[in-house]
Amino acid sequence: MTKHLFLFALLASCTVDVGGDSTTPPDDTTSDPWPELDRQEREGPPRYTSRVHGCPKVRYRTLGNLLLSRGVDTASTADQSAGKIYTASPATLGAPNFAQRAREQVDPALATQSKMFDIFVQAAPELIAGMGTRAECSKGGSPSPLFDAAGKCNKDGISCLIGMPATQTHVDLCNQAVARADDLEHGKQLAVAVLAAAAHTCE
Amino acid sequence: MSSRWPWLAVALAAATSACNVGTDETTVAPPPPADEWDQKLDARVVDYGAALRIAALRLTGELPTLGEMSSVTGAADPKAAYAAQIHTYMSGPKFARQMFHWWQDTMKMGDAPELDTAPAFAAQLTVENRPITDLFTATTGTCPTLDATTGTFTAHDCANGTTASGVLTNPGAMKLFFSNFGFRRVRWVQEVFICSAFPAEVSTVGQDVHGATPYTGLFPFDSVATLPAGAIDFQNKDSQLCANCHSNINHIAPLLGHFDENGQYQPAISVPSPAGGLAQMKDYLKAGEPTGWRHDKPAADIPALGHAIAADPAATSCVISRAWNWAMGKSDIVDGGNRVPSDTIATVMQSFTASNYKLKDALYQIFTSDDFVRF
Repeated sequence: MTKHLFLFALLASCTVDVGGDSTTPPDDTTSDPWPELDRQEREGPPRYTSRVHGCPKVRYRTLGNLLLSRGVDTASTADQSAGKIYTASPATLGAPNFAQRAREQVDPALATQSKMFDIFVQAAPELIAGMGTRAECSKGGSPSPLFDAAGKCNKDGISCLIGMPATQTHVDLCNQAVARADDLEHGKQLAVAVLAAAAHTCE
Repeated sequence: MSSRWPWLAVALAAATSACNVGTDETTVAPPPPADEWDQKLDARVVDYGAALRIAALRLTGELPTLGEMSSVTGAADPKAAYAAQIHTYMSGPKFARQMFHWWQDTMKMGDAPELDTAPAFAAQLTVENRPITDLFTATTGTCPTLDATTGTFTAHDCANGTTASGVLTNPGAMKLFFSNFGFRRVRWVQEVFICSAFPAEVSTVGQDVHGATPYTGLFPFDSVATLPAGAIDFQNKDSQLCANCHSNINHIAPLLGHFDENGQYQPAISVPSPAGGLAQMKDYLKAGEPTGWRHDKPAADIPALGHAIAADPAATSCVISRAWNWAMGKSDIVDGGNRVPSDTIATVMQSFTASNYKLKDALYQIFTSDDFVRF
């Protein structure tokens, strides 16, 4: 048993960087190594995890910038408005609390993601109305609204909403969401909220 | 359960010594055979659209515009267009704002005028591409302000009673991390700028001091204070050895202990002792023991401490590890345990060192690296 434990620890340790020089301690030498081993088994060794993108939540300030740049009034004080939810929820949204020496919480928590979805749902009408007029969303001098006159989803509009080139799958899912709703306006709002929440789950 | 811990400790110690733990490239062991993780890395594909979104959010705090997306993904040479866009992002005022917020988060301080000067100074060093080691050695202009709209910094001296040593003398930092014996300030320096928790130095060979566990520090065990000379028995051996961490902590804390609860430098140590009154040198170290950054790096005063930190490879690799983790969307390297192997950042470190520690150049290298643009 002890021999196996020794070999296991040896192999596990040899897959990771253990410090800059012989006098610099490896991390976690004073804490329980088993959670770290579990984590490596689940996520991969640091030589892998360090080289792939993580999924941090959108930072609090960045979320405000994002909403504002796509036409949402983040200074709104109207009840249930996206702006009011945003400004009233820094703790839930993981904002830093430097007075308590606490960094921004960037690991996506369920409460944070739920609150963000609330914001995107409430922001959807503003996004639909505003994005077509935003300079950030113009292409070749022409606006890129989220929907065309017939209520069909616009690929460039979706790209501007999610911050990266939309695929046909995005467009198809958007159109499906619209079509399955009881009425066009609610369908458009739901589609926008879902697309935004899905795209901005990770920063 | 308890019986296996000594074995595990021995195994880990053996593993540590068996593995290559140095930075000397000549001693690097041959890489292990490719495994499933290598295959996953190899399977990634370049996606400049996705990379641009992340880069824009990090470097400007905003989504890319539709025009920016089109200019990159629709370009004849997307790689060059992407690199040009990164350069544009890093040349604008929003980059200064983002660097300021990143350093706020890194230093765990900000959002009040007195708490913003240290992050602003670090951001200024970054944006102006000055040596980031100035964080520990600069003597003037270490309490600047930032106009986030224009991205311009205005230099100010901290004027808190001593010659500045970068952020080590920052009044906001010294105030926020004020504590008994000044230990919280030492921990802040260690974790934020060295990227590891205490113990800071660990011997590969434990010393039997007739305690519950071996002593693994590199300062002499009896270099730290004990009763009755000091207020606390840092040589206590009843359970975990205090000295394993405090051998380093106590050699640094007296230097930072000269700042009072408002972050003002005082001629005498001005942090409280938990035993009552203000701490004194005899509470930290045995009589005649000099202060120091590490066991072989004495530091008689804060400027010497700053220069020792600036010369410590752990400090320069730490800032690149933090920058890498930020770019790649990882949580804190210490609190979140998101370590960055030296191999991952070897190329960036090489350029960073050769450029005299210009962080802005290193950030550009990170955001245009192969790992960043592959998904």
